[in-house]
Amino acid sequence: MSDTVLGFHENEAQAEHPAPAPPPRGFHRLLAPGWLRVPWMMALFFGLGAGIVVLVRWAEGWDPIWDGSVITTVELTTVPLGFLVGLGGFDYWTRYAVGAPTQPEDHSGHGARSWRDYFRINTDHKVIGIQYLVTTIVFFVIAGLLAMFMRAELAQPGMQFVDNQTFNGLFSVHAALMIFLFVIPAFAGLGNYVIPLMIGAPDMAFPRLNALSFWLLPIAGVMMVSSFLAPGGAFAAGWTGYAPLSVHQPIGTVFFNMGVQWAGASSIMTALNFLVTIITMRAPGMTFWRMPLLVWANFTTSLLVVIATPFIAGSQFFVLFDRVMHTHFFDYTGGGYPLGYQHIFWFYSHPAVYIMMLPGFGIASEVISVMARKPIFGYRLMALSLMAILVLGFSVWAHHMFVAGMAPWLRVPMMVTSLVIAVPTGIKVFSWLATLWEGRIHFETPMLFALGFVSMFVIGGLSGIYLAAVPIDIHASDTYFVVAHIHYVLFGGSLFTIFAGIYFWFPKMTGRMYNERLGKLHFWLTFIGFNLTFFPMHWLGLQGMPRRVADYAPRFADLNLFISIASFGLGISTVVFLYNMITSWRFGPAASANPWRSLTLEWQVSSPPPIFNFDEIPQVVGNPYEYGVPGARHGVFNGDRVQQGEEVHA
Amino acid sequence: MRRGSIVQLVVLGMLFGAGAAAVALLIPWLPDPASEQADRIDFVFWFVTAICIAIFALVAAVIVYSILHFRARPDDDEDGPPTHGNTGLEIVWTAVPAALVTAISIVSAVVLAKNEHLPTAATASAARAAQASTVNGLCKTKSADPLKPLVVCVMAQQFSWLFKYPGYGNATSATLRLPIHRTVQLQLQSTDVIHSFWVPEFGQKQDAVPGLLTKLVITPTRNGIFPVICTELCGLGHAVMRSQAQVTSEADFVKWAKSRGSTANPGNGAPGGTSGAKLFVDNGCNGCHTFKPASSTGTIGPDLDNLSEAARRANQPLDTFIRESIVDPGKYVEPGYPNAMPGTFATLPPEQIDALVKYLSGGGK
Repeated sequence: MSDTVLGFHENEAQAEHPAPAPPPRGFHRLLAPGWLRVPWMMALFFGLGAGIVVLVRWAEGWDPIWDGSVITTVELTTVPLGFLVGLGGFDYWTRYAVGAPTQPEDHSGHGARSWRDYFRINTDHKVIGIQYLVTTIVFFVIAGLLAMFMRAELAQPGMQFVDNQTFNGLFSVHAALMIFLFVIPAFAGLGNYVIPLMIGAPDMAFPRLNALSFWLLPIAGVMMVSSFLAPGGAFAAGWTGYAPLSVHQPIGTVFFNMGVQWAGASSIMTALNFLVTIITMRAPGMTFWRMPLLVWANFTTSLLVVIATPFIAGSQFFVLFDRVMHTHFFDYTGGGYPLGYQHIFWFYSHPAVYIMMLPGFGIASEVISVMARKPIFGYRLMALSLMAILVLGFSVWAHHMFVAGMAPWLRVPMMVTSLVIAVPTGIKVFSWLATLWEGRIHFETPMLFALGFVSMFVIGGLSGIYLAAVPIDIHASDTYFVVAHIHYVLFGGSLFTIFAGIYFWFPKMTGRMYNERLGKLHFWLTFIGFNLTFFPMHWLGLQGMPRRVADYAPRFADLNLFISIASFGLGISTVVFLYNMITSWRFGPAASANPWRSLTLEWQVSSPPPIFNFDEIPQVVGNPYEYGVPGARHGVFNGDRVQQGEEVHA
Repeated sequence: MRRGSIVQLVVLGMLFGAGAAAVALLIPWLPDPASEQADRIDFVFWFVTAICIAIFALVAAVIVYSILHFRARPDDDEDGPPTHGNTGLEIVWTAVPAALVTAISIVSAVVLAKNEHLPTAATASAARAAQASTVNGLCKTKSADPLKPLVVCVMAQQFSWLFKYPGYGNATSATLRLPIHRTVQLQLQSTDVIHSFWVPEFGQKQDAVPGLLTKLVITPTRNGIFPVICTELCGLGHAVMRSQAQVTSEADFVKWAKSRGSTANPGNGAPGGTSGAKLFVDNGCNGCHTFKPASSTGTIGPDLDNLSEAARRANQPLDTFIRESIVDPGKYVEPGYPNAMPGTFATLPPEQIDALVKYLSGGGK
């Protein structure tokens, strides 16, 4: 199969399409979609938002007419909208909606010919995937630096560097960025790049929606980071933003409430796009049972996103309404129900844990099968266990609330469902192990991260069993034990698989190889630093250190100092990663089309792939992981198409 | 599979199991339990730990064995054997974890029921009804019968705890005092945001939610002083919202409670009156501030024994300075302390503020 690399010539593909319209000149450049239109559109929408507020307050006779906090709240909706309008996110649909003649699609907004093409609305899923990944890594670095500040403060008991408000802001923004601006969208970025290629499609189903969903993301990120500049400081009620505390916080909280809306909208749009793409755009022969497990994983993840995300949007709007409009959703003095927030919030945020993990499962399956040179063990059960996690994931949210004061009868059923999720998760872990068994394992960097993921995720899963058991959770809830658990799951789980995915598809995305020695160095520094940082936290929590505190009992001082030093080492490991990525992207040796000798379709085209992915639509004739099966094929192209009825089964 | 590889695998598994067991047993993971509930929680903890060590040993052994034995040489382009699955194995690793989590569920559910059992409830259904009540209500059981569970009302506010004993003339205290071997039901309330009551040695934890009355059962088994910690982020002073739980003999407890109860406002459970000393405790001032006349030792906020000096630094007469610091705490913040005092005291009745100002400016008189 490895010899079926397509001799694809980019200039040929371009020749098939009409030449792009000539660039606008003079003041027309201010009207054309792009960065010149952005500033004045943002100013215009700022004026619009401020105007509406002033008009309403004047009409109602409220004093003062110009109220900073209300204006800010409204502007967090209108100014980003102005940014998107300026950039051209709505041009096509607006023309369509008002009945103007739509411009014929000349594909000038598709694909990247220079670095500038990454900084505009671009409809190519490969460009969008890279836009996603670079953006999320930027926010990953910012959020990581916030964690470094936190660990500096926690190196000793008492207060040293920051005050309480700043510290509460540090951990809140750290978590919000890592979740909403890194893990979730980084998986969306990898999926964006790989999925259309994997299923043999030329692009996503809705390329313009895809472009828009990316550009919502920097809006959310900038909003959350800039909350540090808001009067009163950044949002400081944790990423969970529990009411009623969050209702009575300084204005920075609104930056979180609204930031979640933008990130959530981005998530939902991408998920819809994935669903439609996977359901309708598979190449001929690509049945559901022939899809690579990464496609299965993103399919189930997208279902989770579409069903669950509106709940967090609602919870944040309710907090905003309680604050701005003086509604009483969560204010008991007005008949509200404070625990209602937690129920709605966790109805999203527990499934969100699987949104942040299932794509990682998919990546691990791809990497382990290819690098162990064996078919994935129990393919159908692997796919079915994803579906089982999807369904069960909606029935466990209240295990975050065992001590919250909710209806006591709810705890045992929620414990049982939470523990039952260990069964499909266990199936996946054991199947990966069985895939390794008797394989011919190649320990390149992606495989190291995939195996690191399996071992760390097992530890995170086991500590999850402790937390699912109600009596232990009553003791351990809201302590550093939980901090250790979430980092074993989200760092050891999600982040390790994101790294595995980035290294694995780096040659496909950039056309160049990363530096293998630096990759291995990055893995070992991360793996060791991660365990030294987070494993001791189990002990801290069980012994009595609550989470989200800047100050703690003196007897925890030594261990906290140790953790802080280890975490700085972990922080430095990221520098190795960034250096490797940047220099390899620029100067790395050219990568072949299929350096890992993989069977899936994305590796059967050039690196990087042609602008419309496939010269011709591939024909899928077999399963994606048939390593070691003589003569087995997953996809064939014209020229070596098999005879009718000669499909290869294994 | 060859016999040699099975032997190696078993040896590796036993090594990892022994290592994990050593880590579990040699490090004191849990605080020394001081309540019957903590003893039972410890049992669940070790039950789960035993299962987890077995799973960890199995996974670690397979991974390490694979890394050692199935490593491909750099120039090896061969594929592995095309194994697609094994129905028997797949049934085993679905059924065994299912059985294990069922066992954990049963053990946990039984322990949970025992940990919430109140000895006086005549029937199981009455106990369940008592536990299930989440009606908005006030903590007000007046039983002083030693056979009945002791009820302690826990009032949480930013950033202090107040414990009230309805069975002892509504005695109030900034620290929790409990008699040993007597089951106590804490009834938790919050006046502002969500807090959470936790004593690590008791193992029990419960949120205090505004508008709800939540409950927690503790049966202390060891005399001593244990930390009370707020574990739900409640604002700026969350990290320092701590107090103490002191377990003493029944006789010492009754003596303490009666002396407390007689000085408290007799017959009236609601915090009130115009006794500066009582207002100081009822409003939780003693939770954060050191003030010798009230024998309070809080260190979250500034020491109130030095008020006249602070007033001089703020260039204000003492009375005005104290009044403003109660009503608008952010106006003058003592250097070295966070601006963490809640503004809710501005809503106290004017005569109570007057009494507090008098109490504080007069050095406790």
